[in-house]
Formats: sequence, structure tokens, C-alpha cells
Amino acid sequence: MITRARIAAFAAICVLAVSAAGAYVVYAAGRDRAIRPSTAPIADQAPDAVGEVIDGPYIVFRSTAIDDGYGRVAVVTLDDPGGERAFTDLVCDRVDVAGGRGVCLTRDNFFGGMTATIFDGRFVPVDEITGPGLPSRTRVAPGGVLAAYTTFVAGDSYADTGFSTRTFVIDLESGRELGNLERFETVRDGERFDRIDFNFWGVTFQNGGDSFYATLGTAGKTYLVEGDVSSRRLTVLREGVECPSLSPDGTRIAFKQRSDDGFGPVTWQIAVLNLETGEVTVLAEDGNVDDQVAWLDDDRVMYGLYRDEGQSPVTDVWVVPADTSGTPEILITEAWSPSVVSP
Amino acid sequence: MHRPYRLYAGVRFLAASDARRLTRAVYTSVRTPPESASRAGWSRPIRVSLNVVLLGLTSLFTDLSQEMVTAVLPIYLTFELRLTPLQFGLIDGLYQGASALVRLVGGLVADRRGKYKEVAATGYAVSAATKAGLVVAGGAWLPVTGLVFVDRIGKGIRTAPRDALISLSSEPERLGTSFGVHRALDTVGALLGPLVAFAILVWVPLGFDAIFVVSLAAAVIGLGILVLFVRNREAGSDEERRGVSLRRAIGLLRDRAFRRIVVVGSALGLLTMSDGFIYLILQRRASIDPRWFPLLFFGTAVVYLALAIPFGRLADRVGRAKVFIAGYAALLGAYLVLLTGAPAGWLVAGCIGLLGAHYAATDGVLMAMASAVVEAPMRTSGLAIVTTAVSVSRFAASVTFGALWLALGQGWPVALFAIALGAGLPFAWRALGRSSA
Repeated sequence: MITRARIAAFAAICVLAVSAAGAYVVYAAGRDRAIRPSTAPIADQAPDAVGEVIDGPYIVFRSTAIDDGYGRVAVVTLDDPGGERAFTDLVCDRVDVAGGRGVCLTRDNFFGGMTATIFDGRFVPVDEITGPGLPSRTRVAPGGVLAAYTTFVAGDSYADTGFSTRTFVIDLESGRELGNLERFETVRDGERFDRIDFNFWGVTFQNGGDSFYATLGTAGKTYLVEGDVSSRRLTVLREGVECPSLSPDGTRIAFKQRSDDGFGPVTWQIAVLNLETGEVTVLAEDGNVDDQVAWLDDDRVMYGLYRDEGQSPVTDVWVVPADTSGTPEILITEAWSPSVVSP
Repeated sequence: MHRPYRLYAGVRFLAASDARRLTRAVYTSVRTPPESASRAGWSRPIRVSLNVVLLGLTSLFTDLSQEMVTAVLPIYLTFELRLTPLQFGLIDGLYQGASALVRLVGGLVADRRGKYKEVAATGYAVSAATKAGLVVAGGAWLPVTGLVFVDRIGKGIRTAPRDALISLSSEPERLGTSFGVHRALDTVGALLGPLVAFAILVWVPLGFDAIFVVSLAAAVIGLGILVLFVRNREAGSDEERRGVSLRRAIGLLRDRAFRRIVVVGSALGLLTMSDGFIYLILQRRASIDPRWFPLLFFGTAVVYLALAIPFGRLADRVGRAKVFIAGYAALLGAYLVLLTGAPAGWLVAGCIGLLGAHYAATDGVLMAMASAVVEAPMRTSGLAIVTTAVSVSRFAASVTFGALWLALGQGWPVALFAIALGAGLPFAWRALGRSSA
């Protein structure tokens, strides 16, 4: 029965529900205001603060401190990574710089698309490429001509809930896309290897030339592949290597491997593969490293870790020796996506 | 980007029936005057019971609530909670089994007690409570996945009694129209949900909690409409209700007309590719920038929304089986369009149009068909059997298509499904159509 009393009760429910929800959204917006990406000038920063830092070797990263600079690309000198950071005007989720050029991946909010912005040695955007999915990884090849980026596409179907990744190689001089790794030819044990569920991610370039390593995922397994852009061919090297990162001297690959028991959230640990001997060493980091690690120098790797698993967007960049020794230490607080740049 | 993915689960399926037996059904709640019980003409305004509109509005708010969460859930689970998609997939599979069981039990309880509204309200309340739970659970993965599971149980509970109540609130001649109106309102909510969710994320970057709060508010409003305004319907005497049992529910399958609906509905369900696969192939064939991928879902839902009421009315006029079979012919058309070398624009427009028409001609119409042949006291149980059979067969079709896709690539599975559907349609027509021509 639609009575006056019921209409009044319904009106009360509506007013209560709408105002409570509205108030919560306003509260949450206020709480998150500091981390809404903004490109407004940073207060109290000297005009050429960035220029001074990038005169010598430096580390570029994404700042995750909850302040005006949240999400900004920032730089610190390699000599003093804990020192004061200088903020650039770029807002990125992932960033990498090499050879006077860089790539910045940003998430476009609405439909989950992403933009790869190519910028010059002074962090000025020169070109951009838009694509699907959410930003995942990017690496610029030494020399600054080639780069690769990976995006995540999330979704589910009735039969299969899963992620797919797409990895593209791009030419930074022309801003052109050179290819999707899924369209490259893959060879395993001398034979052509092709499955419809191929996913590629985590490219790391070799020094000189256009060769690189990457991860191939198919049928629940991951493989380390080596390939080059000009022949558009990939070769499977071994199983179980994810998100490879080649050491500056080109002799070892740091990567992440599964360390959970298959129940609950996935956890990862870092290991190093010696390319000559095939020997794998697990590093002295107990935390859950879900990142493409980067080499600080030939003896140490660095990576981002969340401060408060699943709750806060704040991360720190940690460093640990690339063998079983030592203990992890914070290298840069409130930072993510680090990479060493030598001018 | 190889894995198939379904975007927001806004589009529903399910429904089938036999128009000739309409008159056999017991309706205790005809509210409109007898002269309007003649065949609904096009010139007549759309007339459905207020109860149907109210149930439609309940679904609108509930779907708005639901799709807000569904749209952001993959990002939330994997990026915020860092859960492996594989594990979520397992939980999803588990739900398929539990949901079927819950549907049947809910259907029996609703029929036995005659408490359609109360059982449906329980399902809606369970789902609303899970939204509150998501706010409280914070970032702990186990409660969150548990809540997603409970939410789906809630959905399993409410669907059949709600559809039974729609059918019991409608004149037999207007069942198609009633379900059309309900599904149209439901789709409006499904369309708005993702938009509201993404709008919140633009304004509140870490606003998953804000999304859950707004979703809870929408769910409470939907529940409020149901509890305060929707009227329960009587179906059969106390004595008839006491006769409701699992055995009798299974015994419904002995009825030829009902069995045909279940068999044809499941058989056609087995030949239905999930829309996620269709979108994926479209996107590849037409080289659509995947960032616009959600627009494929959106376009289909808009076509569905536009056609749900006209097709429901058409079904009431010319026969539900005809419209239902035509809906599967539209699906076959969509498969064939996928197989042609049509230019991108035509490919997308043709597929989206045909897919939307397919849903509009089959979803509510199947429920209308089933409602027409299941006696009123067993209505909920009967509808629960039909929806369960069809969803299980659709799930099997998805698994099969996925396996074929992995083995043969994208062209052949579509061709195989098209051939099978083309061959199966005449049989489906003979089974359903003859009796209601």
C-alpha cells in the first residue's frame, strides 16, 4: 500500500542516503586532494633546481610524498639520494630516462587508457602516444633512441578472469611505434612458438644495438625471452623469470619471482640470474617486491615498496646488494620507479 | 591483449515461453479493467502494473549500485589489494555452483510461503549489506573476496522471486511488455553505474571507499522502494502452497511446454558466445583503440534499452516464441557479420545493433514465456530452474569457446558457433514455435 507515511519514510531514506553519500564523497575528495595530480609550480623551489641536479649523474623517480609534488617526476643527485629532491613539471606513474630522452607513462582516468609522453633531457614533453589499459612498465634503451612500455588491461569473462598485458617498442626520435611484441616471431628450442594467450611485459634493453630481454607469459608460465627490434624475432631463454632488469655491465639479470604458496595475494622476491653460469641467487629482501627492479650500479639493485600494504599510496625506494649479502635499506623515501641517469 | 574480457556485466540474458498456454496460468492480481485485457495494440500506451515499474526502479538503483562496484572491481582487487586474477577467477567459478543452489532454495521458499517480496528483499538486503562490508573491510583481501561472493549469493536469491512477482503482477497478455519495462529500467541503472564510479575516481583518486559508500546509498534506496512500495501477490491457496516441494519443482520438468523451454533455452545458451568474446573479436577486426572498448558494452546496452519495451510488446502481439527465436537469429546475424570482411564502421554498428537486439528479444521474453507455462504457485521455482539451466549452459559455452579460441585462433570458433546455431535454430523453432504460431 502506498500510504503517505510510506512516502514520507522513503523521502527520509533518500535524503539520508544521498546526503550521507554526498558528504562522504566530499570528505574523500578533501582527503585525496593532495594526491590529485597537479602541474602547478611547486612552492619554494628554486627556478633551476632541476638543472642543478641533472648536471651530474642523478636518479630520476616518481615522488609519492603526500604534498604538492605527489605523482611528480623528481630528481636527486646520485651522490646524495637522500638529499633534497627537485621536482619537474611532469606527472607520471612510471618514468625512465636514458641518453637525453625519457618516457613518462600516465593513467588517463576515465576509460582506463594511458598516455606515454616522450620528453627531452630537460623534461620538456616533445611527443605523446596514447594507448589502452593502465601504465605498467617503461624502459628507455641506453642511447635514448628506443624505448618500450607495457600496459595492463584488466577484465574478466564468464570463464576466465585475467589480465593481459601489451608491450610496445617505440622510436623516441620520431615518436613512432615500432611494434607490439605479440606481433614479433617467437622461437622456442629452435621451433616457432605461438599461442593466442601470449602476453609480454617488462622489457630491459641491452647496451648498444636494439636487443632486449623481456617476459613472456603463456598458459600460466613465464619465460625470459631475448629479442631484437630489427629482426622482430624473440627467442625463449628460460622459464620462471619475470620483469627482467639487465645489470649495467650486461652480465646479470635481476628479476622478480613468486614467493607465495598460491593462496591469497601474490608475493614476490627479487633474484639475480647470472647469464654466463645460469645460476640464480635470491637477494636479502623479505618484503613483497612487485616492481621491475633497477640497478643502482653493478653491485646493487633498487626497487619500490609500499609502506602500508594495500592502504596508502606512499612508497619508498629501497636498495639491496645484488648477491645474498647485506640488508635492504631505504635509498629514497617517498619515491617510486627509480632509475639512474648518467649525463 | 589476449585474454577475453567482459566489461561491466550490464547485459543480462535468460528467458523463453509458450504463448498459447498463457490462459492456463493462474493470475490473482489483474488490476486493469477486463476490456484492456485484449491484445495490446501499438497505438495503445504502454500499460504495465505499478508494481512492475516499482520493481524496475528497485532494479535500476540496485544495478546502479552493483555496476559501480563491478566496473572498478578488477582494478581494486589487483591494484589496491594486489590479488592475483587467477584466484579471483577461482572464486568466481565457485560462485557459479553456489548461486544455482541458492536460486533453487530461494525459489522454493518464496513459493512455499508465498513471500516473493520478502525473499527478494532478503537478496537485495544481502547485496546492500556487502557494500557496507566493502567500506568497513578496508584493504583486507580475504573479507573483500568473501563479500564479493556473498553479494553474488544475494543476487542468486533475489532474481527468481523478483521475476515471479513481475509475472504475478502482470496480465497474461502483457507479460512480454512487463518484462520489457523491467529490463529497460534495469539497463538504465547498469549504464549509469560505471559512469558514476569513474566520475568519482576522477574527483577522488583513491576513492574506492567513496564508490562503495555511494553504491551502498543507491542499494538502500532500491531496497527502500521494494520494501515500502512493492506489493506482494497471492498465488494459489495455502493448500497449494503447502504442496510446494523440491520434488514438485523437479516435477515441473515433466510438463512438456516447460521442458521445451528449459531444453531450448539451454541448448541455445550452449551456442552463445559471451559478449566479452564478441567485443574482443570486434576490437581486433575493426582495430578499435582499446581505450574505447567500454563503448562497445555501452552501445549494446543502449540498443538493448531502446528495444526492450518494443520487443516485449511485439512478443505479446505476435507470439513470444517467434520473437525469442528471432532474437537468436539476430545473434546468428552478429556471428555472420563478424565473419564478413565488412568495413570497420559497418562491422561495429552491425554487431552492436544485432547483439543489443538479441538481448532485447530474448532476455525478458524467455522469462515471459516461462511465466506463462508455470502455474502460479510454482512460479518462482520454475523461473529459478530456467535461469539456472540457461546460465549454466552459457557458462559451458564460454569455457568451450575459450578452449576453441586457444586451440584454433579467433576465426574458426566463430564459424563453428555460427554453423551450430544456424543448424539448431530450425529445431528450436519447431520445439517452441509450432505451438504458438
